[in-house]
Amino acid sequence: MNAAKMRVLVVEDEPQIRRFICGAVRKEDCAAIEAGTARQGLDEAAQGEIGLVILDLGLPDMEGIDFIRDLRTWSQVPILILSARTAEQDKIAALDAGADDYLSKPFGVGELLARMRVLLRRHGQSGEARPQHNFGDIAVDLSRRIVSRGGVEIHLTQIEYRLLAVMLANEDKVMTHRQLMQEVWGPGHAEQGHYLRVYVGRLRQKLEQDPAQPQHFLTETGVGYRFQS
Amino acid sequence: MQTELSIRWHRFRYLLAVALCLLTTLGTLPFRDLLNVANIVMLFLLTVFVAAVWLGRGPSILATFLSVALFDFFFVLPHLSFEVADVQYLVTFAVMLAVGLTTSHLAARLAEQTEEARARERDTRVLYELARDLGGAMSLDQVADITRRFLGKLNLDVTLLIAESSVAGSAFHQVGKRHLSELEQNFVRSAYERHTIIETDSLAGMGVAIVFLPLNAPTQVRGVLAIGSPTGDVDSVRSLRPLLEAVASLVAIILERLHYADAARHSELQVTAERLRTSILSSLSHDLRTPLTSLVGLSDSLTQIQPPLPEGAIETAGIIRDQAHAMYHLLSNLLEMARMQAGKITLNREWQPFEEIVGSSTRLLAGVLASYQLEIDAPTDLPLLYFDAVLLERVVCNLLENAAKYSPDGARIQLTARIRGPFFEAAVCNEGPGFPEERIAQVFDLFVRGEREPAVAGTGMGLAICKAIVTAHGGTIVAENRPGGACVRFTLPLGSPPPMEEEAQT
Repeated sequence: MNAAKMRVLVVEDEPQIRRFICGAVRKEDCAAIEAGTARQGLDEAAQGEIGLVILDLGLPDMEGIDFIRDLRTWSQVPILILSARTAEQDKIAALDAGADDYLSKPFGVGELLARMRVLLRRHGQSGEARPQHNFGDIAVDLSRRIVSRGGVEIHLTQIEYRLLAVMLANEDKVMTHRQLMQEVWGPGHAEQGHYLRVYVGRLRQKLEQDPAQPQHFLTETGVGYRFQS
Repeated sequence: MQTELSIRWHRFRYLLAVALCLLTTLGTLPFRDLLNVANIVMLFLLTVFVAAVWLGRGPSILATFLSVALFDFFFVLPHLSFEVADVQYLVTFAVMLAVGLTTSHLAARLAEQTEEARARERDTRVLYELARDLGGAMSLDQVADITRRFLGKLNLDVTLLIAESSVAGSAFHQVGKRHLSELEQNFVRSAYERHTIIETDSLAGMGVAIVFLPLNAPTQVRGVLAIGSPTGDVDSVRSLRPLLEAVASLVAIILERLHYADAARHSELQVTAERLRTSILSSLSHDLRTPLTSLVGLSDSLTQIQPPLPEGAIETAGIIRDQAHAMYHLLSNLLEMARMQAGKITLNREWQPFEEIVGSSTRLLAGVLASYQLEIDAPTDLPLLYFDAVLLERVVCNLLENAAKYSPDGARIQLTARIRGPFFEAAVCNEGPGFPEERIAQVFDLFVRGEREPAVAGTGMGLAICKAIVTAHGGTIVAENRPGGACVRFTLPLGSPPPMEEEAQT
């Protein structure tokens, strides 16, 4: 990974937007591979070692979601999607289809780089289990099932603990409501989205400094949640 | 005229019956001695039979009695006298009478049945023709015209009244030349409301329509058919009643078909308009947003270029970026407003705590709110509410942004949430000049801003969007001044949240 530059595939039909994304990618010391259409993007992805795909959802030749499904049949490469702020349903569909994160247009270089770094880092360390987590003044030891603040143990119910563990395992990554419901409650509970919201609220009450303005258990409005330490 | 003719024909038939009997008598007299009496009886019975088939019941009964009398007078001994020499002839007379009467009855009934069948066939044929003509009708006027022409052939006067679908029960669209009197309109109304046929025989002389038939279609009563006779002939109208009922149900079905065809055309038009609007909005949105996204990104990358640009250039690039951002925001508001104004807002509602919106809004506006003191006062035990998170976040963001825009740096901004009666109420208050009193009622109107000559940038869309969203959720929104500042409060209905099973405590 150190010898060759990380290759980032940028699939975006607007040349001007592609230009600044590629600029940001190169700034991060990665190689940018440009594709103006979904077809071209899939071809490029098939050719070689890609470390990250940045995909615009509004491509002219193919629905973004079909691109993701296609790619996911043979590759687990991280996918960052770009989409308009108002298109929540598209984002949810893309995330559920296997995209890893999203960025709402318009966005600055800083935001783009932050998301890229998270995805590249996560991809690099996949498979590596990390039992200890620290965020704010909270310490979590998954191996001993202990959650504590300043050495004082905080009691979590089973579901709260399971939800916390899932969110920790997906740190920095947006999880849709459906994905979280699936992971914590198992299949068949998709209609009971209010459970998830109530339990996230309880985690905030127990683990956030100011539950009304959470710093770790963040709401991605209309899409899902994101945990950040 | 027709009736006069039929009366004359009626009388003439009896004369004919008499003539037939006389003819038989005259024809048979010369052979009186040659023919057996039994055969003469047969000839008379034949006469009665002919009269029955040809002339009908009454004349044939007359012919029966006349035949017996003539037979007795001319052919039974003693001749030319009603006296009977042989008592046996009384049996002959009785048999003659019985056979004659039965024959006339049977023959007449046969004739009547034939006539009935013919009439039925005629009805069926005309109904078929009517159905065929109505089947091609494309407008209400055509339906009325065809019905009128058809019933006109039967010498009937028709007025078609179609219920206005918008105003149920009270208003009728009248198709027909004749103006209905107040009395007739009352009949129309009660036929329509009670779904029954109304007959006004006793009033026929006054030129009032005789029958009012409700047009019962499968889904609802479509109107009323008022039928009158120019001659006031109640009987003929009554005899045609089965036919008229059939006509009424035919017309009703056609009206229903026209109604649904019209509805289908209308909704198709609406769908087309909707599709056009959506495609215009989305292409506008794409075409305007794309260059702004490039502008934001490209100017932002200028600020981070290596080696760094001179300080002034970085500052300029930053300003370009922020302005492009502001323009994007403005554009989003405009498009959103256009979408809301043009049609229904589609809500993507879910049961969720209001707190989520507070957290995400304050995070989104972290930059704007950094230079103010934000105070959040929301109890932790608020019930779940049923709302569209994206849109409500928009409301809270707009209100917080507004509050910041119109208050001095470092001022307090308060966001409160509580239950008030059957509603949830949230309020955003600031410390600032407040809304100008004389325009406080209009601040939610599109493009109206608090100040007449605003010193602060904005479009006056923010509050209008808030109102549209809150209203779509079944809530209300009000603006008010309080000492040292302004407040905007909005409510949402509480509803009944879905039940939750608590997990067993471990």
